[in-house]
Amino acid sequence: MGKNENEVILKVDHLCMYFGKGNYVKKAVNDVSFDIKKGEVFGLVGESGCGKTTTGRTIIRLYDATSGSVYFKGQRIVAGTKSYKDEIKKIRAEIKKLNQNQPSGYAEEIKKKEARIEELRKEIKSAISDHKKAGGSKLATNIQMIYQDPVASLDPRMTVREIIAEGLVIQGIKDKKLINEKVYEILETVGLVREHADRYPHEFSGGQRQRIGIARSIIMQPEMIIADEPISALDVSIRAQVINLLNDLRNTMGLTIMFIAHDLSVVKYFSDRIGVMYFGNLVELATSDELFAYPLHPYTKSLLSAIPLPDPQAEKGRKRVRYNPLEDHEFSEEEPTLREVSEGHFVRCTQKEFEKYQEIRNAK
Amino acid sequence: MESKLKVQNLVISFRTASGKLQAVRDVSFDLYKGETLAIVGESGSGKSVTSRAIMGILANNAIVEGGKILYGDKDLLKISEEEFHRLRGDKIAMVFQDPLSSLNPIMRVGKQLTEAMILKNKASRRESKANMKEMFDNLEKYMAAVGEGNSIHADIEKFKKFEEKHCELESAYQNAKICAQEVASLSQNLMLRIQKNSWQGVSADVKELSRAAKGACSRFVICKEEAEVRKAADELPGTYQIGRKEKEFKKVFELLTIMRNAAQDALKFEEPNMFALGYYLTFVDGSIPEKPVSEINRMASEKMNADFLDGFLKKIEKAVRYSAGQADQGRKDALAIFEEKLPLFKEKLLGGESGKTEAEVPKDLIKKETDAMKAAVLKGIDPLEVELDSIMHTFGTSMDYALDLFFTAGPRNAAEKKRYETQLAKYNKMKESGKELAWEVVPASYIDVDAAREGVTDIIAEMIAHLKAKLAQNEQADFGARTAEIVEYLKQCAAESAYKVSRQVAKEKAIKLMEGVGIDEPRRRFYQYPFEFSGGMRQRVVIAIALTADPDVLICDEPTTALDVTIQAQILELINNLKKERNLSVIFITHDLGVVANMADRVAVMYAGKIVETGTAEDIFYRPAHPYTWALLSSVPDLDTKDKLESIPGTPPNMIYPPVGDAFADRNKYALEIDFEKQPPMFQISETHYAATWLLHPNAPKLEVPAIIQARIEKMRKNGKGDTDGQE
Repeated sequence: MGKNENEVILKVDHLCMYFGKGNYVKKAVNDVSFDIKKGEVFGLVGESGCGKTTTGRTIIRLYDATSGSVYFKGQRIVAGTKSYKDEIKKIRAEIKKLNQNQPSGYAEEIKKKEARIEELRKEIKSAISDHKKAGGSKLATNIQMIYQDPVASLDPRMTVREIIAEGLVIQGIKDKKLINEKVYEILETVGLVREHADRYPHEFSGGQRQRIGIARSIIMQPEMIIADEPISALDVSIRAQVINLLNDLRNTMGLTIMFIAHDLSVVKYFSDRIGVMYFGNLVELATSDELFAYPLHPYTKSLLSAIPLPDPQAEKGRKRVRYNPLEDHEFSEEEPTLREVSEGHFVRCTQKEFEKYQEIRNAK
Repeated sequence: MESKLKVQNLVISFRTASGKLQAVRDVSFDLYKGETLAIVGESGSGKSVTSRAIMGILANNAIVEGGKILYGDKDLLKISEEEFHRLRGDKIAMVFQDPLSSLNPIMRVGKQLTEAMILKNKASRRESKANMKEMFDNLEKYMAAVGEGNSIHADIEKFKKFEEKHCELESAYQNAKICAQEVASLSQNLMLRIQKNSWQGVSADVKELSRAAKGACSRFVICKEEAEVRKAADELPGTYQIGRKEKEFKKVFELLTIMRNAAQDALKFEEPNMFALGYYLTFVDGSIPEKPVSEINRMASEKMNADFLDGFLKKIEKAVRYSAGQADQGRKDALAIFEEKLPLFKEKLLGGESGKTEAEVPKDLIKKETDAMKAAVLKGIDPLEVELDSIMHTFGTSMDYALDLFFTAGPRNAAEKKRYETQLAKYNKMKESGKELAWEVVPASYIDVDAAREGVTDIIAEMIAHLKAKLAQNEQADFGARTAEIVEYLKQCAAESAYKVSRQVAKEKAIKLMEGVGIDEPRRRFYQYPFEFSGGMRQRVVIAIALTADPDVLICDEPTTALDVTIQAQILELINNLKKERNLSVIFITHDLGVVANMADRVAVMYAGKIVETGTAEDIFYRPAHPYTWALLSSVPDLDTKDKLESIPGTPPNMIYPPVGDAFADRNKYALEIDFEKQPPMFQISETHYAATWLLHPNAPKLEVPAIIQARIEKMRKNGKGDTDGQE
């Protein structure tokens, strides 16, 4: 880390990802913004279906974002255009309405609106060009992903060597010797041996398969890894091995990791900062110690109260906090936004709640 | 405690291309009524295989090499597929790890939920009717033997008659109560949603509420305010429409408050004793008296006890005494026969120590003797016993199986030998000709004749021990308690046979369960197909389906592993509540120790096909004794962990070649020399706590529990104390 401690490596800016059409639009990711600093582990937690995985996948462009952008090392790699197009559509409709009434009286206004359309068009153009540029550049190989299911994410018909070397081959490296060398080196890094290179995925246990997945993702020497629940499909005893491995890699390679998970004790152990998502929204964002010590958003509180602990007595006396957005918030007057309650601690709230949270936080 | 399910010495292997894989090696445990047994272990430790054996869904290449799974009067390892159909889902239900394979893709989720309920209801009605008839017939039979056949016949007729009334009252009451619960929660919820301008689905729920409110109006639920509530329910939809148009909800709120208060009050009322009331209405007075509930309860039960129940109980007790006496006599006879036959079987029939092969054994004689023994056992069974004696009931099938194995061992071994030799010859020939072979010869697996012979005599010896225990136990039998048990049983049968689940009720229940497992907008989701649900949602649906059938034993195979903590907590809470409500027995398989701590009454830790440590949850978490348990406990980070995690090195052993000694020795840094040579037996630590490790042997070096666990336990003790103090 050192002097680059505060360098932002990934910036997610008002990212939206909607699925579906017409009346039923599922807002999987709705206006999510956060920064990830170089060398840190950023944990993303939330219930299933809240958009954690979609966020991860949108960042590496497995989905085309609806709107918003993602900047990697300052370059825009994801640029959604739908919000611009929607706005254009809206303005056009307005202009049409004005034209129907009395075009002469509103000439000034119509001109303004047309100028705005022009502006938006430019935005779209630049977004599309950025999008294309990022797709062709080597930048994309700098972010790699580790998938949740170590069984489904490895091609059963490829040997481990082919799986790991695939990225290199696609990048145009043809020297077989070089490829082999690199593969062996990576295999040893992740705690496997050379002999494993010629085997097929089904010959490995779950933990070893996940190691292969990790090897595949780090062979391109990425600067950042998006780990999408890398341990939830693994056994307890192997989880510890994989977490230790990721921790080692992070220290030796200086990796930045975005860690998506729902096992909160692991996230707490592993992450520097944690973002909590609920129904497509980022509701709270803080350093992990801060978040666990002073959770402010009621959903975070509910989440923390539900962590199962290996202690029968505590479990039997546990009081779970329920979260009901209808009861806990008053959103009828004001839409909530992400606000900074204390340094580095963001909560999605309305002005009223913001004041309340600030009071609570400062009291502690 | 009553034991629901008994697993004894279960041994299961899998036939694979490279040999026999020993998945479960001698596992025994009891599952008691109303408790949760958690099985913990890595994948491949045999926990899922054990549970699949209980469900009767082992893979094709599985071989059950020995053991018993006793459930009621059946040994689940030895019943036919046809019989299993009746148990699976109905009596023993399972929640699978993988939700995709447990849902029908072309059927709406709602249909899948209600289908099970309706079918189960139909089946249980039929079954309860049959059970009740059988019990009545037996009672009559024994009373006739004592010479009071006629008088009990009249009583039974009477019982049947008012029991019908009782069921009618009870189901009406329960339905109304469910409605009242819905009114209470829904009206509260609607008020909130109207206040917060959240309009999705409100108008449908308003209609639902008015329907439920009408349903809740009955004598013992919403009674005093009935007129008021009915009026409010009628007016509500119209008022809401007007309110929505004019954006003025004062009137709607008034109506909702009326309903909510009435429902909340109604839920606090005392429960009427419907059994007694049924009697009262049938034989004393046709209408319910206008008195408070407690007064009615007292009056009705007094009347019933004096007129009918006391006499009926006395008669039943007489029958029970008589039948118990008969059965005891039968058991004594059986014991005599068995004790006489055991040496005979041991020495003469089965060829003594060894030497005689099965071909020389007089098959016919053995068959004759076995039949005599079976008949003797049947005479020792008391049909008036409510709790079935599984060992006696399953004697016949166990014996048949053991004998079959013994008799066919010779021919089967010969065939296996032949197969192995031909295959080997072929393999060698091909190898010699210089071909590179991708396959190997499957090693021969022979049936151990001596073990098969022992299997037969073991069953007889076990039966002798069982009969002795039973006779000793029956000397101090409490006939009063047994009589009460029979009446309870009859009541339950009657209630079940009269309780009809209509489509509407099933739907309501399903929707409630869907809400319970955390599915939003259950009314809309009810009509969707499985593919419209996300993975976590599907898992919740599967759990809901398993719970609808109202099983006796619920097996959960890592049900919440794929879910996030909030939903997991909610579902665990739901399962815990259901367990309390229905006295459910649960086998919970997981590797999340936090979940174990939450759910388990008792824990069994499995490693490489064996149970290595078993005890109550407190035993395992506060006083772990086996190194594997230590390793498991220290490899999960808790909220304060900062250091590098202690992971268990290596991988579980290959169970095609199981290690000679302790299977965990290779990965165990505390392993002793003997661990590599000999398998440790189960050492008893306390009454409930057992562990299989040589460290507990008196001669073993004294070892401290690892510091990391020690520290954690200390912390837990402190926290735990704080918690209990807080509660007091």
